[in-house]
Amino acid sequence: MLLEFIVNGRGHKLEVDARARLLDVLRDKLGLTGTKEGCGEGECGACTVIINGLAINSCLVLAPQANGKEILTVESLEQDGELDRLQRAFIDNGAVQCGYCTPGMLMSCKALLMQNPNPTEEEIRRAIEGNLCRCTGYTKIVRAVKEVVEEK
Amino acid sequence: MRDIVMKRPENLEALVEALSSVNDTTYLLGGGTDFMIKLRKHRIYSGTIINLTQIKELNYILREKDRIKIGAITTFTEIASHPLIKQYANCLAEAADKVGSTQIRNVATIAGNIANAAPCADTVTALMVLDAKIKIIDGNGETREKSLDEVIIGSERNTLEKNEAIIEILIPVIEKKSKSAFAKLGSRTAVTISKLNIAVVLEYDQENSIHQAKVALGALGPKAFKSDIVEKALLGKKPVESLLLELQEALMEQVDASILGRGSHPYKRDAIQGLADDIFYKLFASTSIGGEV
Repeated sequence: MLLEFIVNGRGHKLEVDARARLLDVLRDKLGLTGTKEGCGEGECGACTVIINGLAINSCLVLAPQANGKEILTVESLEQDGELDRLQRAFIDNGAVQCGYCTPGMLMSCKALLMQNPNPTEEEIRRAIEGNLCRCTGYTKIVRAVKEVVEEK
Repeated sequence: MRDIVMKRPENLEALVEALSSVNDTTYLLGGGTDFMIKLRKHRIYSGTIINLTQIKELNYILREKDRIKIGAITTFTEIASHPLIKQYANCLAEAADKVGSTQIRNVATIAGNIANAAPCADTVTALMVLDAKIKIIDGNGETREKSLDEVIIGSERNTLEKNEAIIEILIPVIEKKSKSAFAKLGSRTAVTISKLNIAVVLEYDQENSIHQAKVALGALGPKAFKSDIVEKALLGKKPVESLLLELQEALMEQVDASILGRGSHPYKRDAIQGLADDIFYKLFASTSIGGEV
């Protein structure tokens, strides 16, 4: 069936299987492989993308549900060869280790900052409670987000 | 292989139209956070999905006379932060706030949580103590209101016909001096399926004694239920510290009555004392017992 949506600022019109997950369409049809599949059931957050300003698990959304919506994936963060401040802060703070959770983690944090530019530590931790990271212990991720908040 | 077709009605009229031609392989879709798992687990390859989430007129929270009305596709994120829910149905706001993760709360819907009828569904336990009614529409465009107990009859079992959809949740407003709260217990703080959950609504009389108590427990049987044992333990009491012990005793008695002999019994009997702590603190910690639930 027909799916019309905007991904990272570009309009797309695609013919998709009604059973396809948004995750599959982003990765396989649009080649946006920054978004990762982890558990495939909404536990780990590796597949987090932003729909109409809200963080969601792209493994739990059928692609046709995204019809008419605006999607942001991790690929949207870098602009003209410049990393987003959030990405830079992740690197500077050692918040990226194996890196698998990073795209989802970045998008959860990005969604938070889009809604609330001055989150408390508690709000940061809550925003990433649906994202599992087995390397960093989360401390460095929280520190990275705080750095972006404090830079302002 | 037959295909899956998705219908995307954009208003109630189109929904009724879609409901008028259903069969055994028609599925209603809310946010999809539970449906997606079922779709893959049960290997559903053909049928019709009716996606409700584009029906904007079903997304609202408002007060009409003595009832709070919540549209079927309202998400947990919207419910958890809404002033009307916090004021008149605090236990529902707390339950919605504890479902899954931010990502799940952003898409999962209240009607989906009810229709899915999981024994551990957090908002169902809260809706039960709030005496919520469920408004349903069918393929002829006729609507009716049912109680939660009429709609949910067991673990993942509801009484909705294939040509029926939940369109609204109605919660009576309690004007008396009252308080409500929700607490849950799972294996991790977030993204957790409740191993136990509890919702309580208390109404007080002039002397600050509990003159009406509603207590529901979830994940302690095939569906959430109201507990006479625990309600009786609270009736007529004043919110003093010794009441915690009585609450714990009553909850353990309820666990014995519900799941004695089950493998989870020893754990839940122990764990419910911690849950009692949590709910007691939420209900009574503030000395000022508020005017609304």
